[in-house]
Amino acid sequence: MFTVDFATDGLLWVRGPSGVGKSQLLRAVAGLVPHEGDVSLHGDPRGPLPAWRARVAMVPQDPPADDATGHQWVERVASLAHQQGREADDPIGIAEGWGLPEERWKRPLSRLSGGERQRLWLALVLSRRPDAVLLDEPTSALDGVARDAVAASLRGRLGLLITHDAALGEALATDVLELS
Amino acid sequence: MTEGPVELGYVDLLLASAMLVVFGAVSVLARLGLERKLAVASVRAFVQLTVLGMVLLPIFAWQSPWPVLLWCVAMGLLAGREATARTQRSYRGMGWNSVLAMAVAGGGTAVFAQLVVLRVDPWWTPRYLIPLLGMILGNALSGVSLGMDRAMSLLLERRREIEAQLAVGATRQEVGRDVVREATRTGLVPILNTMSAVGLVSIPGMMTGQLLGGTAPVQAARYQFLILALIAGAVAVGTLLAVVLTVRVGLDAEHRLRVERFGDDATAG
Repeated sequence: MFTVDFATDGLLWVRGPSGVGKSQLLRAVAGLVPHEGDVSLHGDPRGPLPAWRARVAMVPQDPPADDATGHQWVERVASLAHQQGREADDPIGIAEGWGLPEERWKRPLSRLSGGERQRLWLALVLSRRPDAVLLDEPTSALDGVARDAVAASLRGRLGLLITHDAALGEALATDVLELS
Repeated sequence: MTEGPVELGYVDLLLASAMLVVFGAVSVLARLGLERKLAVASVRAFVQLTVLGMVLLPIFAWQSPWPVLLWCVAMGLLAGREATARTQRSYRGMGWNSVLAMAVAGGGTAVFAQLVVLRVDPWWTPRYLIPLLGMILGNALSGVSLGMDRAMSLLLERRREIEAQLAVGATRQEVGRDVVREATRTGLVPILNTMSAVGLVSIPGMMTGQLLGGTAPVQAARYQFLILALIAGAVAVGTLLAVVLTVRVGLDAEHRLRVERFGDDATAG
């Protein structure tokens, strides 16, 4: 049983030992698993789930790795009914700022490295301008420069963050939730 | 020259059974070790078919729709069960979904055949209804089981991609569409192959029976085409329905992926 209310701006750093249920908590907030408890954003209850997930978007630890290209995924996500009418940024530009060349968007996701896929998917989700984000280890496959660039883009966002990278957590989080 | 069907007595069956002795001889000579299985299978085939004949006899003679319909319901339940017994995975309620698909597809097609195509009077005339429904259900069950199996494995294989889309606001219809389409295609391909190859090598079972029963070849061929058309329609409806019901178990009303509901064992409730 839990209550999560995104009331103040900033990232809440969800910490705790492996297997304690950090990812499950994120998935519960996204409404992707059955759970008890209430979730709200600035005091408004969650409401119908697809609409909620378009506003409070989750970036899974393992992004898709199928035969569709990045460009095809951009189209697929943009065509979802609950993504209609949302203003969006250019995901390719976002990812270029993190060192992912534009050419990578023409390849099937299955043929990208873990770090490339991670940046591509994060850029795709952030480009949809969600009100809040649920980030599950967003930089786990990234090296120094790319990691710092991604970290800079995440500063000041609203949402939940799971990371084993203590420096990243301390740099980005405005609060800490310790699970045990 | 022989005219009309040859009436079979027990002596004839004994003579035919000589071929089973040939099977046994092959098994012994080649050390196949199949003698026991042969004995069991032979007895089962004889007993099951004899019982079927004895049960159908009063149903055909009764002149009442109720025993006929009761028999049809029993066939539908058995076909539904058989379809779920063949899948690699299962979920709670799968058996009933399968029975529902069989009932809609088989029942609808059989009634259509009796009322519109054959226009038999009364519409439940068992001599037509029972064999037709048996052929329809027998084929529909393979489409239903292939389709349900494929739907479950697609949802499992693509769980990353599906959940990533749900996580940014996709509905279960949006992520389920492709799975329904692919799984249904999988279930429908065999009947199309059958229709394309029919009559090239073997004469299909129903037509063989009619020829042995004395029907003129052109009439028997027409009946065979009729049954194939009925089967195709029933397979399409039954497979699509079973696949949609299965995808709705894997993607629940809250637009969540629930593949944990798909168990690995093949026993369905």
